[in-house]
Amino acid sequence: MISITVNGRVCACEEGEYLLDVAERNGMLIPHLCYHRGLLPIGACRVCIVEVIERGRSKVVASCVYPVRDGIEVHTASPRIREQRSVIIALLLSLAPGSTEIKRLALQLGADIPRLVKAPESDTCVLCGRCTAACEALGTGAIAKVGRGVTKKIAAPFDGMPPDCIGCGSCAHVCPTGTIAYEHTDESVSVWGREFELMRCTGCNAPLMTREQHDFLTRKGGESPELLCERCGKQGVARKLKTRERYLG
Amino acid sequence: MDHSTHIEEIARRYPAERRFSLAILQDIQREFNYIPAEALPIVAARLDTPQAHLYALATFYKSLSLVPKGKHVVKLCDGTACHMRGAGNLLGSLSRQLRLDADGRTDDGQFSVELVNCLGSCALAPVMVVGEAYYGKVSLEQLPTLVDSYREGGENDE
Ligand code: SF4
Ligand code: FES
Ligand code: FES
Repeated sequence: MISITVNGRVCACEEGEYLLDVAERNGMLIPHLCYHRGLLPIGACRVCIVEVIERGRSKVVASCVYPVRDGIEVHTASPRIREQRSVIIALLLSLAPGSTEIKRLALQLGADIPRLVKAPESDTCVLCGRCTAACEALGTGAIAKVGRGVTKKIAAPFDGMPPDCIGCGSCAHVCPTGTIAYEHTDESVSVWGREFELMRCTGCNAPLMTREQHDFLTRKGGESPELLCERCGKQGVARKLKTRERYLG
Repeated sequence: MDHSTHIEEIARRYPAERRFSLAILQDIQREFNYIPAEALPIVAARLDTPQAHLYALATFYKSLSLVPKGKHVVKLCDGTACHMRGAGNLLGSLSRQLRLDADGRTDDGQFSVELVNCLGSCALAPVMVVGEAYYGKVSLEQLPTLVDSYREGGENDE
């Protein structure tokens, strides 16, 4: 166990934990965009910057990917941080002025919106990397950050349709800017230019998951998962328990 | 040996683990002078890694290329020192002499020109590298002879 101080408050933590997690656990929320609970930290957007003072020196770091060290002193909302953070969020907002998540952050952080934001025709990707992290974690890693510098973008190989995509839609679900086109009907899902047929719950016939998703889970889990929606699945378990009780009783 | 078998053979030089992606792509680049599109699915299957991961590597590293590089790869330094000493003019002159296309290549496959960042020889700026040979303090005047020496039949065309 080590301890650090955040905004004057002493917080106990483990060496190597990320600063943002420690602060949140102690009730001090740090604004963030690319950081998403349940995904590995990405460290792309810089909204979560804080000031760290270590051995008399102060520096600005991205708290979501900054491993804590014993004795550091952290300020999450110093004047310097407030100023820099508000510029960062205003720049992000200028790329995606329609994004509710970014707009909310910008308002909350008092960003000088009119000065920096010129309304573009449509929202663009802010390269936060949530989509690729979600795809790695829940899907197959079918899309990636491609290229570098000003030409960097989220794409599939050769800008085509991603061959490894299973149509789970995790990417579109976590995207703060709505720039990933995802549509679904009762029968199918379309994303990244591909269309996926939906399989149905064997209990109630509700659309459940794409065939490719089912294949993927089968491959991953070593056996094919039952085609049951959450409700029918629970009912099945309850029924089983009941019959067993009868046996035991 | 056709491309696929050759690529397969290169991929098998390394253990089937994702961390060898870059090493394999580098070997493919060396053998073919580029990463053929068909390499992606083959390497991906071998390493059990998504094709997007390989594509990201291939587009990130300057040393990897998805289109065939020229027989002679010309690296023109555009780092700060070389930039100040006229790398831009050299590039302009090179592309006129060689009639480079938008990707910096000649259509006979002899040359491809790329801009690189500081080559660590700033005192010799502007610096140009052809294949493995370094040229320092390159002047506009000497460019035509230098380029000619690498053309087919020239003294530097091995
Ligand atoms: S597509 Fe959306 S989730 Fe992916 S990097 Fe862009 S803004 Fe972030
Ligand atoms: S939330 Fe930390 S860099 Fe985006
Ligand atoms: S800038 Fe060209 S060698 Fe350093």
